[in-house]
Amino acid sequence: MELPGFVFYFITFFTMGGIYAILCLALNMQWGFGGLFNAGIAGFYAIGAYTGAILTAAGSDDHVGGFGLPILIGLVCAGIASGIVGWMIARICVRLKADYLAMASIGIAEIIRLAIVNEEWLTNGSLGISRIPRPLESVFSGRQSEVFFVVFVWIVVAVTFLVARRLQVSPWGRVMRAIRDNDAAAASVGKDVQRFRTETFVVGAIFMGVAGALSAHYFKFFSPDATEPLLITFLAWVMLIAGGSGNNIGAVAGALVIWAIWSLTEVVTQQLPPDWATRSSYIRMLLVGLLLQFVLQRFRSGLFPEKSPKLRVSDDR
Amino acid sequence: MKKQILMAAVAALMAAQPVSGWADDVKVGALMGITGPLANFIPPILNAAKLAEADVNAGGGILGGNNFVLVVADGQAAAQPSVDAASKLVNLENVAAVMGGLSSGATIAAANAVTIPNKVLQVSPTATSPALTDIEDDDHVYRIVPSDNYQGEVLANIVLDEGLNKVAVAYVNNDYGVGIANTFKTAFEAKGGTITAFEKHEDKKNSYRGELATLASSGADALVVIAYAAGSGAKIVKQSLENGFFDRFVGTDGLRDDILIEQVGADALATSFFSSPTSPAENALSAALRKRFDETYGEGSDKPFVDQTYDATMLIALAIEKAGSTDRAAVKNALREVANAPGEVVGPGEWAKAVKLIAEGKDINYEGASGGHEFDENGDVAGFIGKFVVDGDSYKQIAIFE
Repeated sequence: MELPGFVFYFITFFTMGGIYAILCLALNMQWGFGGLFNAGIAGFYAIGAYTGAILTAAGSDDHVGGFGLPILIGLVCAGIASGIVGWMIARICVRLKADYLAMASIGIAEIIRLAIVNEEWLTNGSLGISRIPRPLESVFSGRQSEVFFVVFVWIVVAVTFLVARRLQVSPWGRVMRAIRDNDAAAASVGKDVQRFRTETFVVGAIFMGVAGALSAHYFKFFSPDATEPLLITFLAWVMLIAGGSGNNIGAVAGALVIWAIWSLTEVVTQQLPPDWATRSSYIRMLLVGLLLQFVLQRFRSGLFPEKSPKLRVSDDR
Repeated sequence: MKKQILMAAVAALMAAQPVSGWADDVKVGALMGITGPLANFIPPILNAAKLAEADVNAGGGILGGNNFVLVVADGQAAAQPSVDAASKLVNLENVAAVMGGLSSGATIAAANAVTIPNKVLQVSPTATSPALTDIEDDDHVYRIVPSDNYQGEVLANIVLDEGLNKVAVAYVNNDYGVGIANTFKTAFEAKGGTITAFEKHEDKKNSYRGELATLASSGADALVVIAYAAGSGAKIVKQSLENGFFDRFVGTDGLRDDILIEQVGADALATSFFSSPTSPAENALSAALRKRFDETYGEGSDKPFVDQTYDATMLIALAIEKAGSTDRAAVKNALREVANAPGEVVGPGEWAKAVKLIAEGKDINYEGASGGHEFDENGDVAGFIGKFVVDGDSYKQIAIFE
């Protein structure tokens, strides 16, 4: 049966949207739960993407590779690699106050980018890694592979969501919120603020790495171009703030709504006369900006504001 | 609110549907990086595509007089938005084929994520990365500029012909610089030349004196600069001259930019020479094309990738005409037939003649403004590399290598 074209548009839409949803959920763990201002998302995304790519891609003479590991193992390793880097950074940086952490993380993302561009033996430098497989390519080909991949991405989104939700309602999540809102008070009741912050930073970094690896499998090619901070770090932040930081449903909804604004504005501007082709692309950027302004102004605390989960023990106090 | 946005989105989509439903328009997508890092290059490139569109329609239309329509989408010359833009072209606009992908990363991502799985022909006018050669595209992805590998090899020959056996190489650390530099090094050394120093550098720094001092101390006769003049190339040449590191330079197309002459002066570049992908020796048809371009758009026919974009659009149109329908598989299969020899040669602006030949059942071979476009099994073309020297405040081509 032949499905109409717009169905496949929504498949690419939800594939990209799903990858952003994972990034957004991961950022929500760091910022929404823990109040850690990570401005280096692109760095963790890149580490995950390259780890996944190197472990699963076909061999090449130009760089380390040819391990041909299964994609699931690649995804897990991408998370682990990104988490280890996140842990090292957290050890050094989580003691910094929010704005200083932002500066440090921007710097670290840039270090990661330069390392990737220069360590050609590992990453093939700026030429990028090609022939990265997609899951079950031998079974699904052509459009079927797109359908399968979007399902695969949303399974990962679901796993990420469940982890985030579980963390949020757990005692650990309550401590995180306490630290976020008043770290001195949390420390005064004996909570190890540093340790909790490190943990949340690492967990977030793990899922950012997974999102990166999924993109590498989706594009089947990965080069440093694809780690552009505007499209990763900035967009993920806008998505989370618009969706509602601290709320996991908000993180997913924000990712989809903002990606819809980003993507569908072009459908509107394409209706302009063809002579306007150059102009309409800039009008579209203007439209994206206006809609973002509208969402951010109209919904100060996001589309889905944070709700603290109810405590199960009623006589807690 | 979410509802409102969703409703707006649905409304926009519904508004878009009837347009794609018009039966008489033959649509081809143009995946361009209109905003983003390549924005400077865009206006003439887009004009070239529009000129091809106009030529087809002026020559009697496509598939029996239908309108040939180019749908432009903005991929921002980056992977993520290019995938999104390509998906809109292929799935919402329902185009018969896609012209584009400007930067290599964007082209490959869009091809792997959208055009290959949807079995749509994609022809890039500008993607030069060697990585495009070996993607598993099931014969759907083509490009009509030579791979960077090719320019590196030809440059090695040009430099040796000039009698330079010992050179130092400074190249910018991106896919362009690394691609050309590596093939240049391999080819140059294989042919008996010596690379005395081989240094990469980051774009857009203020000083390259440190790198240059290292390169100069290696005892080379000339410095090969593989970089964009506006990014790092002009600074490297200028600082080399100021500090007496080098006085003779060999550049690639990135350096062959008027900015270089503005910054260091023509006199200082008297002994330097440049390689650049070029078009074959001008014939009447390509000259007429350039004249028409300048008359229609004021200027710009000499800008980079104008010829290639015109040819890519024209090749797709010919493939559709040859296929006799907008069926994507048929269009894809027809491309090689209209592009490769044998066949009666048609050139830019000869749309009506091509349509007539196809109608008569004759095989045609499009020889474009930027070359003959004989696709090999990877969908790559060999190309023409020109050797340029400085002439007054611009450049003069003195030889063409194939």
